[in-house]
Amino acid sequence: MSDDRKIDDYLKALARSLRVLPERDRDDIVAEIRAHLEHRAGEGKLADAMKALGGPETCARAFIEEIKIQSAFADGGPTKTFGALLALASARVTATAGLFFSGIFYILAAAFVFIGFYEMVAPETVGLWSDPAQGSFFFGTMDDPPSPTARELLGRWLVPVAAALAVLFFVFAQWLTKLFLRLMMRRGRPGAI
Amino acid sequence: MDVEAWKSQLRKGAAELAVLALLDDTARSGIGLLDALEARPEIGLSDGSIYPLLNRLEREGRIEGRWQTPRGGGRGQKIYALTGEGRSALKSMRAAWTGFRDELSEIVGGSR
Repeated sequence: MSDDRKIDDYLKALARSLRVLPERDRDDIVAEIRAHLEHRAGEGKLADAMKALGGPETCARAFIEEIKIQSAFADGGPTKTFGALLALASARVTATAGLFFSGIFYILAAAFVFIGFYEMVAPETVGLWSDPAQGSFFFGTMDDPPSPTARELLGRWLVPVAAALAVLFFVFAQWLTKLFLRLMMRRGRPGAI
Repeated sequence: MDVEAWKSQLRKGAAELAVLALLDDTARSGIGLLDALEARPEIGLSDGSIYPLLNRLEREGRIEGRWQTPRGGGRGQKIYALTGEGRSALKSMRAAWTGFRDELSEIVGGSR
Protein backbone atom coordinates (compact mmCIF):
# COMPACT_ATOMS: atom_id res chain seq x y z
CA MET A 1 0.00 0.00 0.00
CA SER A 2 1.34 3.46 -0.90
CA ASP A 3 2.05 6.08 1.78
CA ASP A 4 -0.75 8.31 0.46
CA ARG A 5 -3.24 5.47 0.75
CA LYS A 6 -2.08 4.62 4.29
CA ILE A 7 -2.44 8.27 5.31
CA ASP A 8 -5.92 8.52 3.76
CA ASP A 9 -7.07 5.36 5.52
CA TYR A 10 -5.70 6.58 8.86
CA LEU A 11 -7.36 9.99 8.48
CA LYS A 12 -10.72 8.50 7.47
CA ALA A 13 -10.69 6.35 10.61
CA LEU A 14 -9.57 9.36 12.67
CA ALA A 15 -12.42 11.52 11.30
CA ARG A 16 -14.90 8.73 12.16
CA SER A 17 -13.58 8.55 15.72
CA LEU A 18 -13.84 12.35 16.03
CA ARG A 19 -17.47 12.49 14.86
CA VAL A 20 -18.67 13.61 18.33
CA LEU A 21 -16.88 16.93 17.76
CA PRO A 22 -18.24 19.85 15.71
CA GLU A 23 -17.28 19.60 12.03
CA ARG A 24 -14.96 22.60 12.15
CA ASP A 25 -12.92 21.19 15.05
CA ARG A 26 -12.80 17.79 13.40
CA ASP A 27 -11.60 19.16 10.07
CA ASP A 28 -8.93 21.24 11.76
CA ILE A 29 -7.55 18.25 13.69
CA VAL A 30 -7.61 15.98 10.63
CA ALA A 31 -5.83 18.65 8.55
CA GLU A 32 -3.10 19.02 11.15
CA ILE A 33 -2.56 15.27 11.52
CA ARG A 34 -2.49 15.03 7.71
CA ALA A 35 0.24 17.69 7.57
CA HIS A 36 2.16 15.81 10.28
CA LEU A 37 1.91 12.41 8.56
CA GLU A 38 2.76 13.81 5.12
CA HIS A 39 5.79 15.57 6.57
CA ARG A 40 6.98 12.36 8.25
CA ALA A 41 6.29 10.37 5.08
CA GLY A 42 8.55 12.85 3.26
CA GLU A 43 11.28 11.96 5.76
CA GLY A 44 10.62 8.25 5.18
CA LYS A 45 9.29 7.85 8.73
CA LEU A 46 5.57 7.25 8.16
CA ALA A 47 5.43 3.91 9.98
CA ASP A 48 7.19 5.37 13.05
CA ALA A 49 4.93 8.43 13.01
CA MET A 50 1.77 6.30 12.89
CA LYS A 51 3.06 4.15 15.71
CA ALA A 52 3.85 7.24 17.80
CA LEU A 53 0.35 8.68 17.23
CA GLY A 54 -1.27 5.41 18.25
CA GLY A 55 -4.27 3.98 16.40
CA PRO A 56 -6.83 6.48 15.03
CA GLU A 57 -9.15 5.81 17.99
CA THR A 58 -6.41 6.39 20.56
CA CYS A 59 -5.35 9.56 18.76
CA ALA A 60 -8.97 10.82 18.63
CA ARG A 61 -9.60 10.03 22.29
CA ALA A 62 -6.69 12.25 23.37
CA PHE A 63 -8.25 15.24 21.53
CA ILE A 64 -11.78 14.50 22.70
CA GLU A 65 -10.77 14.34 26.36
CA GLU A 66 -8.91 17.65 26.18
CA ILE A 67 -11.72 19.40 24.28
CA LYS A 68 -14.60 18.08 26.36
CA ILE A 69 -13.00 19.03 29.65
CA GLN A 70 -11.98 22.45 28.39
CA SER A 71 -15.39 23.30 26.91
CA ALA A 72 -17.18 21.96 29.99
CA PHE A 73 -15.26 24.39 32.17
CA ALA A 74 -15.76 27.24 29.71
CA ASP A 75 -19.54 26.80 29.23
CA GLY A 76 -20.57 25.11 32.45
CA GLY A 77 -23.93 23.88 31.04
CA PRO A 78 -25.31 20.57 32.33
CA THR A 79 -25.08 18.79 28.94
CA LYS A 80 -21.46 19.72 28.41
CA THR A 81 -20.31 19.01 31.96
CA PHE A 82 -22.16 15.68 32.02
CA GLY A 83 -20.86 14.86 28.52
CA ALA A 84 -17.30 15.57 29.61
CA LEU A 85 -17.71 13.30 32.61
CA LEU A 86 -19.18 10.60 30.37
CA ALA A 87 -16.27 10.87 27.94
CA LEU A 88 -13.85 10.49 30.84
CA ALA A 89 -15.82 7.56 32.25
CA SER A 90 -15.81 5.71 28.94
CA ALA A 91 -12.06 6.21 28.76
CA ARG A 92 -11.81 4.77 32.24
CA VAL A 93 -13.40 1.42 31.50
CA THR A 94 -10.16 -0.16 32.63
CA ALA A 95 -10.49 1.49 36.03
CA THR A 96 -14.10 0.35 36.41
CA ALA A 97 -13.22 -3.22 35.45
CA GLY A 98 -10.27 -3.13 37.86
CA LEU A 99 -12.48 -1.88 40.68
CA PHE A 100 -15.07 -4.57 39.97
CA PHE A 101 -12.71 -7.57 39.75
CA SER A 102 -10.39 -6.64 42.61
CA GLY A 103 -13.52 -5.79 44.65
CA ILE A 104 -14.83 -9.33 44.18
CA PHE A 105 -11.59 -10.84 45.50
CA TYR A 106 -11.42 -8.45 48.47
CA ILE A 107 -14.98 -9.49 49.35
CA LEU A 108 -14.03 -13.17 49.04
CA ALA A 109 -11.04 -12.57 51.34
CA ALA A 110 -13.31 -10.85 53.88
CA ALA A 111 -15.84 -13.70 53.63
CA PHE A 112 -13.19 -16.30 54.53
CA VAL A 113 -12.00 -14.19 57.48
CA PHE A 114 -15.63 -14.17 58.67
CA ILE A 115 -15.98 -17.95 58.14
CA GLY A 116 -12.75 -18.56 60.11
CA PHE A 117 -13.95 -16.48 63.06
CA TYR A 118 -17.42 -17.97 62.96
CA GLU A 119 -15.90 -21.46 63.14
CA MET A 120 -14.40 -20.51 66.51
CA VAL A 121 -17.73 -19.13 67.81
CA ALA A 122 -20.19 -21.70 66.44
CA PRO A 123 -18.23 -24.60 64.96
CA GLU A 124 -21.27 -26.79 64.30
CA THR A 125 -22.77 -24.30 61.84
CA VAL A 126 -19.61 -23.75 59.74
CA GLY A 127 -17.98 -26.18 57.36
CA LEU A 128 -17.19 -27.57 53.97
CA TRP A 129 -20.00 -29.98 53.29
CA SER A 130 -19.97 -32.60 50.60
CA ASP A 131 -23.12 -34.40 49.55
CA PRO A 132 -22.19 -37.50 47.53
CA ALA A 133 -25.88 -38.19 46.80
CA GLN A 134 -26.27 -34.86 45.01
CA GLY A 135 -22.61 -34.44 43.99
CA SER A 136 -22.54 -30.96 45.54
CA PHE A 137 -20.22 -28.95 47.81
CA PHE A 138 -21.00 -26.07 50.14
CA PHE A 139 -18.46 -23.96 52.02
CA GLY A 140 -19.83 -21.45 54.52
CA THR A 141 -22.15 -21.06 57.45
CA MET A 142 -25.68 -22.42 57.87
CA ASP A 143 -27.93 -23.33 60.76
CA ASP A 144 -28.47 -26.97 59.67
CA PRO A 145 -26.39 -29.26 57.48
CA PRO A 146 -27.47 -28.99 53.81
CA SER A 147 -29.02 -32.48 53.76
CA PRO A 148 -29.02 -35.69 55.84
CA THR A 149 -26.49 -37.30 53.49
CA ALA A 150 -24.05 -34.34 53.62
CA ARG A 151 -20.68 -34.81 55.35
CA GLU A 152 -18.43 -32.06 56.73
CA LEU A 153 -14.92 -32.54 55.33
CA LEU A 154 -12.57 -30.10 57.04
CA GLY A 155 -13.29 -30.43 60.75
CA ARG A 156 -10.48 -28.74 62.72
CA TRP A 157 -8.72 -27.81 59.50
CA LEU A 158 -11.41 -25.28 58.69
CA VAL A 159 -9.75 -22.33 60.46
CA PRO A 160 -6.31 -22.71 58.80
CA VAL A 161 -7.91 -23.42 55.40
CA ALA A 162 -10.19 -20.36 55.71
CA ALA A 163 -7.21 -18.23 56.83
CA ALA A 164 -5.08 -19.46 53.93
CA LEU A 165 -7.88 -18.75 51.43
CA ALA A 166 -8.45 -15.29 52.96
CA VAL A 167 -4.74 -14.47 52.58
CA LEU A 168 -4.66 -15.91 49.06
CA PHE A 169 -7.67 -13.88 47.87
CA PHE A 170 -6.38 -10.75 49.61
CA VAL A 171 -2.96 -11.03 47.95
CA PHE A 172 -4.57 -11.79 44.58
CA ALA A 173 -6.93 -8.79 44.92
CA GLN A 174 -3.95 -6.54 45.71
CA TRP A 175 -2.02 -7.89 42.73
CA LEU A 176 -5.06 -7.35 40.51
CA THR A 177 -5.48 -3.76 41.75
CA LYS A 178 -1.85 -2.97 40.97
CA LEU A 179 -2.11 -4.67 37.58
CA PHE A 180 -5.10 -2.51 36.60
CA LEU A 181 -3.39 0.63 37.92
CA ARG A 182 -0.38 -0.15 35.74
CA LEU A 183 -2.67 -0.73 32.76
CA MET A 184 -4.35 2.62 33.45
CA MET A 185 -1.00 4.41 33.44
CA ARG A 186 0.19 2.76 30.25
CA ARG A 187 -2.99 2.99 28.22
CA GLY A 188 -4.60 6.16 26.91
CA ARG A 189 -2.48 8.70 25.21
CA PRO A 190 0.77 7.71 23.62
CA GLY A 191 3.71 9.50 25.20
CA ALA A 192 2.18 9.05 28.64
CA ILE A 193 1.20 12.71 29.02
CA MET B 1 9.07 1.03 42.25
CA ASP B 2 7.45 1.97 38.95
CA VAL B 3 9.59 5.02 38.05
CA GLU B 4 7.89 5.38 34.65
CA ALA B 5 4.49 5.98 36.27
CA TRP B 6 6.00 8.59 38.59
CA LYS B 7 7.77 10.29 35.67
CA SER B 8 4.49 10.42 33.76
CA GLN B 9 2.89 12.34 36.66
CA LEU B 10 5.91 14.64 36.83
CA ARG B 11 5.70 15.46 33.13
CA LYS B 12 2.02 16.40 33.08
CA GLY B 13 2.41 20.03 34.10
CA ALA B 14 5.91 20.41 32.70
CA ALA B 15 4.90 19.68 29.08
CA GLU B 16 2.70 22.77 28.90
CA LEU B 17 5.48 24.97 30.26
CA ALA B 18 8.00 23.47 27.82
CA VAL B 19 5.74 24.18 24.81
CA LEU B 20 4.97 27.76 25.88
CA ALA B 21 8.68 28.42 26.53
CA LEU B 22 9.69 27.02 23.14
CA LEU B 23 7.13 29.28 21.45
CA ASP B 24 8.44 32.30 23.35
CA ASP B 25 11.42 32.90 21.09
CA THR B 26 9.91 31.81 17.79
CA ALA B 27 6.66 30.57 16.25
CA ARG B 28 6.77 26.86 15.43
CA SER B 29 4.67 24.07 13.96
CA GLY B 30 3.90 20.81 15.77
CA ILE B 31 6.74 19.19 13.83
CA GLY B 32 9.04 22.14 14.71
CA LEU B 33 8.26 21.66 18.40
CA LEU B 34 8.82 17.90 18.17
CA ASP B 35 12.15 18.48 16.42
CA ALA B 36 13.20 20.92 19.16
CA LEU B 37 12.23 18.35 21.79
CA GLU B 38 13.77 15.37 20.01
CA ALA B 39 17.03 15.71 21.91
CA ARG B 40 15.12 16.03 25.20
CA PRO B 41 13.21 12.78 25.63
CA GLU B 42 12.81 13.31 29.39
CA ILE B 43 10.22 16.05 28.72
CA GLY B 44 8.08 13.19 27.38
CA LEU B 45 6.24 15.01 24.57
CA SER B 46 5.61 12.71 21.64
CA ASP B 47 3.83 12.87 18.27
CA GLY B 48 0.70 11.56 19.96
CA SER B 49 0.60 13.95 22.90
CA ILE B 50 1.72 17.26 21.38
CA TYR B 51 -1.26 17.92 19.07
CA PRO B 52 -3.98 17.49 21.71
CA LEU B 53 -1.93 19.78 23.98
CA LEU B 54 -1.55 22.42 21.23
CA ASN B 55 -5.26 22.12 20.50
CA ARG B 56 -6.13 22.79 24.16
CA LEU B 57 -3.68 25.69 24.51
CA GLU B 58 -5.17 27.27 21.39
CA ARG B 59 -8.71 26.89 22.73
CA GLU B 60 -7.63 28.45 26.01
CA GLY B 61 -6.28 31.41 24.05
CA ARG B 62 -2.66 30.98 25.12
CA ILE B 63 -1.40 30.24 21.63
CA GLU B 64 -2.66 31.06 18.16
CA GLY B 65 -2.31 28.76 15.16
CA ARG B 66 -2.17 29.94 11.54
CA TRP B 67 -1.99 27.77 8.45
CA GLN B 68 0.98 28.68 6.29
CA THR B 69 2.11 27.34 2.95
CA PRO B 70 5.85 27.59 2.26
CA ARG B 71 6.89 30.00 -0.48
CA GLY B 72 7.11 28.10 -3.72
CA GLY B 73 4.41 25.65 -2.67
CA GLY B 74 4.62 22.41 -0.75
CA ARG B 75 2.84 21.14 2.31
CA GLY B 76 0.94 23.62 4.46
CA GLN B 77 1.68 23.66 8.19
CA LYS B 78 -0.11 25.13 11.14
CA ILE B 79 2.31 27.50 12.84
CA TYR B 80 1.74 28.38 16.47
CA ALA B 81 2.71 31.58 18.26
CA LEU B 82 2.13 32.85 21.79
CA THR B 83 -0.76 35.26 22.34
CA GLY B 84 -0.58 38.10 24.88
CA GLU B 85 -2.39 35.87 27.34
CA GLY B 86 0.07 33.05 26.66
CA ARG B 87 3.01 35.35 27.24
CA SER B 88 1.62 36.47 30.57
CA ALA B 89 0.82 32.84 31.55
CA LEU B 90 4.38 31.85 30.64
CA LYS B 91 5.79 34.63 32.83
CA SER B 92 3.79 33.42 35.86
CA MET B 93 4.60 29.77 35.14
CA ARG B 94 8.31 30.53 34.78
CA ALA B 95 8.38 32.27 38.15
CA ALA B 96 6.47 29.40 39.78
CA TRP B 97 8.72 26.81 38.13
CA THR B 98 11.92 28.57 39.19
CA GLY B 99 10.80 28.71 42.82
CA PHE B 100 9.68 25.08 42.74
CA ARG B 101 12.92 23.89 41.09
CA ASP B 102 15.16 25.80 43.52
CA GLU B 103 13.37 24.57 46.62
CA LEU B 104 13.19 20.99 45.41
CA SER B 105 16.88 21.07 44.45
CA GLU B 106 17.74 22.22 47.99
CA ILE B 107 15.84 19.24 49.38
CA VAL B 108 16.83 16.58 46.85
CA GLY B 109 20.37 17.80 46.17
CA GLY B 110 20.13 19.57 42.82
CA SER B 111 23.25 19.24 40.69
CA ARG B 112 24.92 16.36 42.50
